Amino acid sequence: MAKENAIKMLKELAAYALSKDAKAMFAWQSEDSRFVRYANSAVSLNTREILTKLEVMVYGDRKMASSSIMTDADDLDSMKKAVDKAIEMLPFAAPLTYQPTISAIQETVISEEAYDPAVAAMTSEDVIAFVEEAVSGLETEDILLSGNISSGATEQAFMSTESTEAVYWRATDIGITLVLASLRDKWEVNAEQFAGRVENLDAGALHDRLSWLVELYTAAPAERVPEQPFTIVFGPAALATYVDYHTWIGFNGGAMKRGFAMMSPDDIGQKVLSDRFTLMEDPTLLETYPRPVDQYGRARKSRPIFDRGVFQGFIWRQSDADEFGEKATGHDVTSLSVAMKGGDRKVSTIQEFAALPRDRDILYIPYLHYTGLVNPTKGIVTGTSRFGPLWLKKDGSIAVPYNVRFTVSLKDLFGDKLLWVSEKTVPWGESSHYRSRNPGATVVPVLACVDNIDIELSNESF
Amino acid sequence: MGVEWKHLIKRLADRGAEYVDVRYVPKEENDTLVMWNGNLIAFDRAEERGYGVRVLVDGAWGFAASSCEEEAEAVFDRAFDNAAAASKRSRRPIRLADKDIVKARFESPCGIDPFEVPLLERVAIMKDIDSALQHKNVPQRVVSIKTTRKTIRYFDSEGAEIEKYIIEIFPAIQVASFDSEGVMQQRGYRPPRLGPTRGWELMNKDHWKRESDRVLSELFEVIAAPSCPSERCSVILMPDMMFLQVHETIGHALELDRILGYELSYAGGSFVRLDDFGKLQYGSEKLNARADATLINSPGSFGYDDDGVPAKNRMLIENGILTGAITSRQMVMEANDRAGREIFLDSGGTSRACAFYRVPIERMTNINIDPGEDGTLEDIIKGTERGVILSGERSWSIGSTREQFHFATDIGWLVEDGEKKGALRNCTYEGMTLDFYRSLTKVGDESTWEVQYVDNCGKGAPSQEMQLGHGVPVCRFDNVKVGE
Repeated sequence: MAKENAIKMLKELAAYALSKDAKAMFAWQSEDSRFVRYANSAVSLNTREILTKLEVMVYGDRKMASSSIMTDADDLDSMKKAVDKAIEMLPFAAPLTYQPTISAIQETVISEEAYDPAVAAMTSEDVIAFVEEAVSGLETEDILLSGNISSGATEQAFMSTESTEAVYWRATDIGITLVLASLRDKWEVNAEQFAGRVENLDAGALHDRLSWLVELYTAAPAERVPEQPFTIVFGPAALATYVDYHTWIGFNGGAMKRGFAMMSPDDIGQKVLSDRFTLMEDPTLLETYPRPVDQYGRARKSRPIFDRGVFQGFIWRQSDADEFGEKATGHDVTSLSVAMKGGDRKVSTIQEFAALPRDRDILYIPYLHYTGLVNPTKGIVTGTSRFGPLWLKKDGSIAVPYNVRFTVSLKDLFGDKLLWVSEKTVPWGESSHYRSRNPGATVVPVLACVDNIDIELSNESF
Repeated sequence: MGVEWKHLIKRLADRGAEYVDVRYVPKEENDTLVMWNGNLIAFDRAEERGYGVRVLVDGAWGFAASSCEEEAEAVFDRAFDNAAAASKRSRRPIRLADKDIVKARFESPCGIDPFEVPLLERVAIMKDIDSALQHKNVPQRVVSIKTTRKTIRYFDSEGAEIEKYIIEIFPAIQVASFDSEGVMQQRGYRPPRLGPTRGWELMNKDHWKRESDRVLSELFEVIAAPSCPSERCSVILMPDMMFLQVHETIGHALELDRILGYELSYAGGSFVRLDDFGKLQYGSEKLNARADATLINSPGSFGYDDDGVPAKNRMLIENGILTGAITSRQMVMEANDRAGREIFLDSGGTSRACAFYRVPIERMTNINIDPGEDGTLEDIIKGTERGVILSGERSWSIGSTREQFHFATDIGWLVEDGEKKGALRNCTYEGMTLDFYRSLTKVGDESTWEVQYVDNCGKGAPSQEMQLGHGVPVCRFDNVKVGE
């Protein structure tokens, strides 16, 4: 839908709510999502979904109620019914102990920097041709291709009854995960890429990584890792998983107030993590699909969360700020722009790193499967390795290890145990598709090295 | 005038589609009410309407979805074109197992439709529960009720016509407080299915008062408790923990699409191989597991799956031996073909999509463990030399082929010399799946068996959340690694 039409529709809905004496906030989203899935070296699924959703939040005296509808993009009547529903519910809402804030957007802001028409125009034939290039010559009767290629365009618009100004944002995103797995031996290696623009896709880089890993996995010995402490070099997917826990239980003010956080107000201004660890929330980073203003119309600025290990403070979404008497920090967006800064280690790929001399055995763990938050207060996370871990031995040889489990505290991981961080960083896609497309990415170093991690459970096969 | 779904299906069949189905959802309603420390922070009604079209062309799937009924013909064509494009990269043409063609209707059993309960009354019971949980030493308390009501109309090119009308309710409470080390401890409760129905009747005030008191009392136990010792000993899993163990390490491991490699790019595979059916000693002889979509009071029962296959009750593991899997029409054909023998006679009826805009995939129904003959919980405790009783899921992490796991629980209790002792905090246990089930030494009787629900099982890409159930007894496993 053209942005003018989206804003016009929200204005009509706002006028409708006002005609019912209601104070309301509107969040509208439209997406055109494509998904090509591979399994067993075939396209197992090829989908396209065009979906529109409207969320309405209605406010009263210390009360709020909301409704949402997924319907045809032009179905204004159904959207008005969603407004009616929220208005109808409001009198029955239990009173809050605080007054929730309704947005009053001061100036219309239209953001399209993260939108690439070439992505929006991509067809499944384009995707299939790209994948052919990325895996050319790597499949065999035993080594089969799996993969997820998600691409799409997302539009979001926000408005309230408190002004006639709106926030409109649109972006395109592509997430590519390619997996080559042995049918016979059950090992699996992967390569991933996340981009907002077609020009940033690089089938050659995917091919390089996959071919290098496949060669190792078919030639190097497979070994069980002893259950003992190891130095681990993490890849970007694993790092992004750990960094994203900070978003949840680290610097989120609401989670802290609710007791589900590892940072406390006493930590502000204190050096609680390694001076190698700097974390930003930086809406200037285009690769994170940034929202330059939040849903309340507040301009967003780059902000350090940890500056060389020193905790800079919590972020406060409006609802948490209302509830706990804090000031909102401009983070009411559907996806934050979190970036872990690169360090001083000049290494760009695992291939490069594996070729360097080393003074100890090192496990390379590119990806964590299904992590669990064991203890939010202590920041303890458990998980297993997946998708092509390597055992880089002190003597320069490389073995392929069976998967391992380890449980670590984020405070240790990004604290005393953090040995070095690569200079180069990459975006790692976090686009969620559960109910609606939500482009996002966390920027992380391509490699980071952590010392003395206890391997507590070690598989005896793939 | 409504869309002529059967006409559109025939149109694609005439274009050369081998198979077409459409799931039309005229209305799905989801209410979410969350009260946090007395504040109703979520009071939400979500509605959706639309249709998803699945087409098989030259042995490959295509799918398209939309809410716009005026464009239905174009959406059907889009699904066809997607299938045609996919067929260019096809390795093994998809075939569907035979099924009985039915024209049928299913309605989930419901005493009181939660959507007909006045909002005032819904909020009032939440306030009552919240009040029961209120205590000066409890900084966090949460009461939530999620309800779903939906109609799904299914048509396919083989002539099936099915309407499903499903109502579900998912209530839960949780309290949290800090222990002496400043670590947040929690205790939660989600009611097992208490009767034959799935409606608002689950919100019995007396029941919730009793459970609220118990949950509070156990929270106070856990915040004053010592940490779980690190050792190997017996673990006795209560149903509110056993269900998750079964979910993660039997349910997901036995999804046939995972076994065949269809989830390798995201959710993961399975340690189970096709050769294992009929042979693999999955657990001790006391282990009997089944996929039972006929257990009427659970969200894992839905009458007919999204392939139009009627609900079934199938054994998965019999006396410890792997015998079955969670199957759909597509996967049983491929599995039999790849194995070179008939492992599966027909579809197990487990193909489901979470919404009109997602494709059906193998999903758990009710993955249950049959009750055993080892008596009550008390009987099992009496026969235990040293162990921990574990209750309430706190965290879970599973290996990518479901070969290993790590769980943390809300609370534990030490068992020594056949007696239940004091509570333990920060309890975790971990192990290798097969070793663990082979160490199953006690299975509780009917008195210990409960149907637990899961309302957010994630799988698939694009991602899907599904609702299902697990009927499980108290079980004891020996020589398990436990710790803090």
